Amino acid sequence: MEPLLWAIGMGLIGAVVFAAIGLVSGTDETAVVAPITLLVVLLGVPAAGVFSFFLAAVISKHITHAIPTTLLGIPGDTMAAPMLADAQQLRELGVPHIALRKAISGGVLSAFIAVPLAVLFAWMLSPVADEIGQAAPWIFAGAAILIALTSKGRWAAVAAMFPFVLLIVGINSFVTAELGHALSISFFLGIATGPLIADLFLAMSPAGRKSLERSGPREFALAPDVRTWAGRMPNPLKVLDRKQVAYTSGAAVVSSATFVFSPVAMTVLMGEAVGARVKNGYHKLTTKMAVRNGTTESTYIAETLIPLVALGLPLSPMAAGPAAPLFNAPPVYTVNAETGATNNLHNLLSTWEFLAFGLVAVTIATLVAYPFAMTNAHRAASWVMRNVSHEAIIGAFAGLILVICLYEGGILAVLVTVTVGLVGGLLNRMFGMHSGVQFMGYYAAVLTVPAMIALG
Amino acid sequence: MSRLIEVWGDTVDTKHLSASIALGAGIATPTFLLGRKFFRATVEDQTLAQSYALLLGLAACLVAAFIAARLFKPKRIVTQSAATAESRREALAAIAADGGEWTDPADLSVEARDELRQLGLYDVLVQAHLDAEPGAGTGDQQEARS
Repeated sequence: MEPLLWAIGMGLIGAVVFAAIGLVSGTDETAVVAPITLLVVLLGVPAAGVFSFFLAAVISKHITHAIPTTLLGIPGDTMAAPMLADAQQLRELGVPHIALRKAISGGVLSAFIAVPLAVLFAWMLSPVADEIGQAAPWIFAGAAILIALTSKGRWAAVAAMFPFVLLIVGINSFVTAELGHALSISFFLGIATGPLIADLFLAMSPAGRKSLERSGPREFALAPDVRTWAGRMPNPLKVLDRKQVAYTSGAAVVSSATFVFSPVAMTVLMGEAVGARVKNGYHKLTTKMAVRNGTTESTYIAETLIPLVALGLPLSPMAAGPAAPLFNAPPVYTVNAETGATNNLHNLLSTWEFLAFGLVAVTIATLVAYPFAMTNAHRAASWVMRNVSHEAIIGAFAGLILVICLYEGGILAVLVTVTVGLVGGLLNRMFGMHSGVQFMGYYAAVLTVPAMIALG
Repeated sequence: MSRLIEVWGDTVDTKHLSASIALGAGIATPTFLLGRKFFRATVEDQTLAQSYALLLGLAACLVAAFIAARLFKPKRIVTQSAATAESRREALAAIAADGGEWTDPADLSVEARDELRQLGLYDVLVQAHLDAEPGAGTGDQQEARS
């Protein structure tokens, strides 16, 4: 009984705190969820509470961060980046609140599908866990190329992978030699804010500035608020039409099984796969919103749960990033890199507990964040667009980048973010190599390149 | 010369932008660094001290954003009514250029059609469909054909 109370209590705290944090655009998961989860672990909260806190936090943050993504056109975090273009088009059609509602309804639906499926897949994968670990570098490399091919940049994006990966490898070994430890958040931040950093550099050069100049303020039209459900609690199955429910569920099932891919990349891939099957422009966009946001949700969950349940080792982008403290938070949770011995949530919770507390966390996060975002989306959109200037947001971002980089690795980390951001942003702008491709490039650099070198 | 430029998807004033960035960096960085110094000296667990400093730094970013938002108003014109015909036409063209087809909305499911009607978009999409019909094409194509 006591673990359940911890799960409910900590889940509630995680959901409320992160629903608020999610409203601040650009609060990267790794950058905010990981340190605060670490805080919870170090404060001595029991395993059930830690797990539920984490899951409720990522899910409710994920629901509310869709608000800046869809209503302002600024990524709520790196996972939201692939939804920006579609959200922007719906915003220009005058229906940003529909983009939001489709996105978060897809997310909620996927979350409920992903928890039991991820536990099931983890249970099925446990016997072959070691083989998966060994194949991971090659899976990453293949996925990176596949994702580059499906991007707008196509062959340019594939070709640009090589210099980009080399750049990451170079910077990574330089900072590791200098600092004595590798950086990761700074690379993520650089990739995520690349378009912003590139624009700021362009604005500083006379030639570049010409390409950015505008004659007047931008016009936005907000369509009338439409409520498509009755009663207090909106039903995601009513907000999405039948086709959208089917596609979103399908994508959730597939993405729950593929836990070694970058969530951003999976999001891009699933969105494109489904987008290609829907013809009508409006229906295509709204379906992609639901599927993409649903996919980020299911990959979040699967990439956290599968390594936790099956391996105890942080063998997924999510587990290596935001969920890292669930695996390794010395002195409370530990992973011995040499022997592979673990003492973390993998050892402290049973498979059934992961399932039960996982569902508790999803339910709490949904109850807290979903009705809030659904009912207040239009009001929030209108208020934010009239009162919050883009300058203020960019200014906060500049501060955020500096603070997080200084936290991770001092001045050197700041320079890493600026370098990766400038190169990545220009590759994005000029060659259509979007951030999803760049994230895969990052993982190829840290996983595939060492594996290739080891082959001799 | 206009001071308005487009950065990261929205219009900003260059002077206001520089000031906001200075505010963000100028408030958040010292807060974080001083906070870290303070917590490292007072909190025994050094990892925990780092986390506290990070939280403080994030709060400072919010303060900076609040000040900048009070000082600089948005460079957007927000119309509450339905989208203007002009911006919609551009949006429709952009969606089509991105691979969206303007098929007949009558082919969509009942639910999707209801949704479009409630949003006042149904007739807009019917028109988009008619415009996109082969044969109706753009003026140039028609001339070439005749």
